[in-house]
Amino acid sequence: MPYYIGDVIKEEKNLIARTPEKFRETGVDVRIDTCVEEVDDKAGDVRLADGTRLPYDTLVLGTGTTPLMPGIPGEDREGVFMLKKFTDALRIKAWLREVPCRKVIIIGAGFIGMEMCEVIRNLGIETQIFHRGVLPVNRWDPEFSQIVLDELRRHEVDFVSDAETKAIEAGKDHRLRLVTNHGDAEADMILMAVGVRPEVTLAKQMGLPLGKTGAIQVNFSQMTSREGVYAVGDCCESFHRVSGSWVNIPLGDIANKQGRVAGRNIGGGSMLFPGIVGAQSFKVFDLEVAATGLDERAAAESGFHPVSTLSWGNAIAGSMPGNTKLGLKLIADRATGKLLGAQAVGKAGAVSRINTLSCALWAGLTLDDLGYLDLAYAPPFGGSWDLIHTAAQVLRRQI
Amino acid sequence: MGKQVVIVGAGAGGASVAAEARRGDPSLSITMIEQRGQVSVAA
Repeated sequence: MPYYIGDVIKEEKNLIARTPEKFRETGVDVRIDTCVEEVDDKAGDVRLADGTRLPYDTLVLGTGTTPLMPGIPGEDREGVFMLKKFTDALRIKAWLREVPCRKVIIIGAGFIGMEMCEVIRNLGIETQIFHRGVLPVNRWDPEFSQIVLDELRRHEVDFVSDAETKAIEAGKDHRLRLVTNHGDAEADMILMAVGVRPEVTLAKQMGLPLGKTGAIQVNFSQMTSREGVYAVGDCCESFHRVSGSWVNIPLGDIANKQGRVAGRNIGGGSMLFPGIVGAQSFKVFDLEVAATGLDERAAAESGFHPVSTLSWGNAIAGSMPGNTKLGLKLIADRATGKLLGAQAVGKAGAVSRINTLSCALWAGLTLDDLGYLDLAYAPPFGGSWDLIHTAAQVLRRQI
Repeated sequence: MGKQVVIVGAGAGGASVAAEARRGDPSLSITMIEQRGQVSVAA
């Protein structure tokens, strides 16, 4: 959706995987703009806002997430947005173009904040970020988040760290004024991007068990603890193949797969969701930022003895024109030599390394495996020793 | 009529359930409920 707002994706239809009409052609009764008020699991029906009751044999909860709000006075003012629904994207897009928007404030520096920051700045609009932490995107090591911050500044985005937002008032020079612990700032639009939580109101009301993550507990068939009731996507947990624990990572690719698994089981087949390794990427201006698996803290919490190395190397062969620096961090278990996680940042090549290393995590490869892994070598794409090889060999020597 | 399947939410997850369940068993009666005005939107 950020890329639709920024006109990178121009056509609305390119954003919509399948229209309600397409579903209806296959005999699926789609009811949009319809709210479920209550699920009566004893009676086996769902009550809609207009009082209609729909009986079910099988129920699926795909209720997604709810955006978090800072809970400050004035956050419901006109011109304050969050990006959740497609209608939000439409409203933001219209607002940016029609209101005369000279300046936008983004609250939060997670990956949605980063993606939105890039598209808004590229529209030529002055952009300022207020973030609770010291550096953006806290999943990455400070050395890498500092590079993200440098990239923001290089594109003249103003980043305010350690920010506590206090209120949103009417502005003088711009429509809105944000009051913070670092003084006031004005903008024509304020975008809330402080995060999301799993939307589990119906699940709670049905008494379905939630995990430590606050998301719905499911088994590998995507079934909840109740027979015939499934949950898929951002509202439920996923099995993390590296840590062996259940996590909640709200990403659309995971939701697609879990939905497919639940659908297969409901349609008479039998399929298990194999879990995730926590692969994630985003782009901010000219940077690729990606990570997979566990960081050291999560690794230690999962009972591993993590060792790590952060190396800088080449995105493509060092002798090739257009080569750029690539940063790669590897985390491995001292006891077994198995890879536990990785992070990468660079103008090119970060995502391809992280995808490769996600496969390594999936298969449980060790640093010895990685040090001599057969990769697709050609100078325009990498060196004869790739950064994956050298980083794995460096870390292997630490064990 | 086949078994009744009710799906709450037509995002990536819910929409995938509907499509795959329909492929597997054409006799299912599937209803997908979405509070928003659009289904299956790329985030």
